[in-house]
Amino acid sequence: MRTIEYVIRRLILMVFVLFGVSLVVFYLTHGVPSAWDPVTAFINPKMSAAQIQAIRVQHGFNQPLYIQYFYWLRDALQGNWGHTGNEALGQPVTYIFSLRFPYTVELAVAATILTVGIGIPLGIVSALKNNKLPDHVSRIVALTGYSTPAYWFGFVLQLVFFYYFAIWGLPNLPSHGALAQTLDGAVPRTTGIPILDGLLGGNLAYAWDAFLHVILPAFTLAFISLGYLARIVRASMLEVLRQDYIILARSKGLRERVVIYRHALRNALIPAATLTGLFLAGLLGGAIITEFIFAWPGVGQLSLVAVFAGDANFVAYYTLVIALIIIVANLVVDVLYVFLDPRIKY
Amino acid sequence: MTSAKRTRESQARTEELKYTLHQLFRNPLVVFGLVLSVFFIVVSIYVTKIMQPTEFANPLGFQPLSIGSLSVDPSIFLNILIYGGLAYLLQRLYDNKWVTIGFLAVVFLILYVPVPRQLWVVNPDGPSNIDFSQKLCWSNGLINWGTPPSACPPGSNYLLGSDDFGRDLFQMILIAIPLDLSIALEIVLIATAFGVFLGAVAAYSGGKVDEILLRITDIFFAFPGLILALVLAAILGRNITTLTIAVLIVWWPTYVRLIRGQILAEKSKNYVEALRSLGLSSRRILFFHVIPNSIYPVLVQSTLDIGGVILTFSALMFLGFSPSPVLPELGNLASSGATYFFLAPWLIFFPGATIVVISLAFNLIGDGIRDVLDPRLRR
Repeated sequence: MRTIEYVIRRLILMVFVLFGVSLVVFYLTHGVPSAWDPVTAFINPKMSAAQIQAIRVQHGFNQPLYIQYFYWLRDALQGNWGHTGNEALGQPVTYIFSLRFPYTVELAVAATILTVGIGIPLGIVSALKNNKLPDHVSRIVALTGYSTPAYWFGFVLQLVFFYYFAIWGLPNLPSHGALAQTLDGAVPRTTGIPILDGLLGGNLAYAWDAFLHVILPAFTLAFISLGYLARIVRASMLEVLRQDYIILARSKGLRERVVIYRHALRNALIPAATLTGLFLAGLLGGAIITEFIFAWPGVGQLSLVAVFAGDANFVAYYTLVIALIIIVANLVVDVLYVFLDPRIKY
Repeated sequence: MTSAKRTRESQARTEELKYTLHQLFRNPLVVFGLVLSVFFIVVSIYVTKIMQPTEFANPLGFQPLSIGSLSVDPSIFLNILIYGGLAYLLQRLYDNKWVTIGFLAVVFLILYVPVPRQLWVVNPDGPSNIDFSQKLCWSNGLINWGTPPSACPPGSNYLLGSDDFGRDLFQMILIAIPLDLSIALEIVLIATAFGVFLGAVAAYSGGKVDEILLRITDIFFAFPGLILALVLAAILGRNITTLTIAVLIVWWPTYVRLIRGQILAEKSKNYVEALRSLGLSSRRILFFHVIPNSIYPVLVQSTLDIGGVILTFSALMFLGFSPSPVLPELGNLASSGATYFFLAPWLIFFPGATIVVISLAFNLIGDGIRDVLDPRLRR
């Protein structure tokens, strides 16, 4: 099986790339002491200079950088990624990350569903009405989407659906956080994902509130990225529609709907499927700006706090986890391609 | 023989370009994007011309590129590069020296003839003349700050309202446009040049060099761009040059991959074999034949990336890496708007909308070119 050989080769390459990523991450987070001092995670303001120096020596922060790297790598491979330097001081970064990650998952999945739900129809319409008015409109929507800063669009949505709706006396959508504060702790934490927790705990009001909270941030993310998807679907749909088998299907006398939705769409959606996978992976890494704007308690927002607080341990863990997610997603998508499109062989 | 062949080839390329442009200008959206981007470029030139080189009013806050003791003023360097290139293109397309001379004359007029003071829209002293008495005079439906709502909201004394330093927001946006545009152009140009060079090296040397370069780009692709830029910005520090470098580091690998793939596809074509059998050196084939034939997708990507770079750069500014809160940069202006969001929504709305329009202009052009050049859809 050549596909299996291909996967094995990719896995081996993946190890090398991850090693390179870890070098870059380590250098960025530990190699520039003026920006991020790893000792900050271990000290408090009451300590004297001598005590701080002692901690520095104890943890090997006075050693040459490459030796520190191997210490760090050894600890990291054993699951010891250090402690956070700011929020919940002294908690392991892995614990903090696992607390916040479910929120990011919720937002990422919601945004992906919206992106696919809007982007693919937009692309199809664009291709079927090539260079006519619907194509131009969909092109403008798509391009405006990826020309829009997330922070701006997020704020505009908040302004309209939270602020002005409140002023006009309409039912408004929440603008901040993943859940109303009054509902905090109303159901036991099982998955950590608010909507799922609400459903599993049988508390529909909880789930509904979580759902309302996710609408605006998810729509912000979807609006920004559905453009790419729509353009890809349009291009591949146009390409597929010119192929011989479509002409054959038409000349058989099949109805246009059948030709398009049964025959053309299946092949045209293959690139869209892979793009969606990569898009979801990117969002799982946290949509920093959107999470920041909507005070979404996910890992993206936390990473922003960590970057500003100089929390080297968290930033290192976070960037490495994201890199791993993206690398694995790329591999999965490439392998999926073979199953989706039998014409492709590696 | 080679020279005759080259003229024929260049003629063919000109014909191809003419056809491409003809196709391009049939698309109204591309024309719209082109008009918009020319408008923004002219605004930038106008603002840069009348602004004094003071702390606030030097909107091009960055220093000339300096490589060791060599220093090159980027604006003159870029001007010659861009307008010279355009003039050359026009000459090739129309083969009429008056069109070219006319174009260069208009460019000279816009670039180097001073604007009479009566025609100034921007007050060059405005940014440093901050009127703090006007700061926070907003009131709105929910919160009344108890101060007269006279000057601040859009439409009254100021076209787009005043910002949180009491400055005219419209003027600040005008001043910010050249900064954002020039940084974006700078980043895209350098990243493209660097990426094309490395990609060509990778594709042409193959073997270990190729493998190593590809793995390096893999490492960069493993990070989402904004996160890497954030971490780099945190390390490098908060000024425009270091932020530019941070975005640049994030951006170049895309071009390496793109041009490498193009060159590999181009290399296997018959005409390369033919040129080689004519005895041309591989370097000559690479630089005069293969790269020119595979550069178009890269140019499309560069055009599309101008918008992306502005978004990333202004996002860094927005998230708090601005060197100074008073710096007239679109992301920075929007960032101060975020603080007073429900009080003064215009503060974030107009700078953000400007970013959308600038970035949309380049995206419309890039998307149009991509459509026209797509070999699958061509003819």
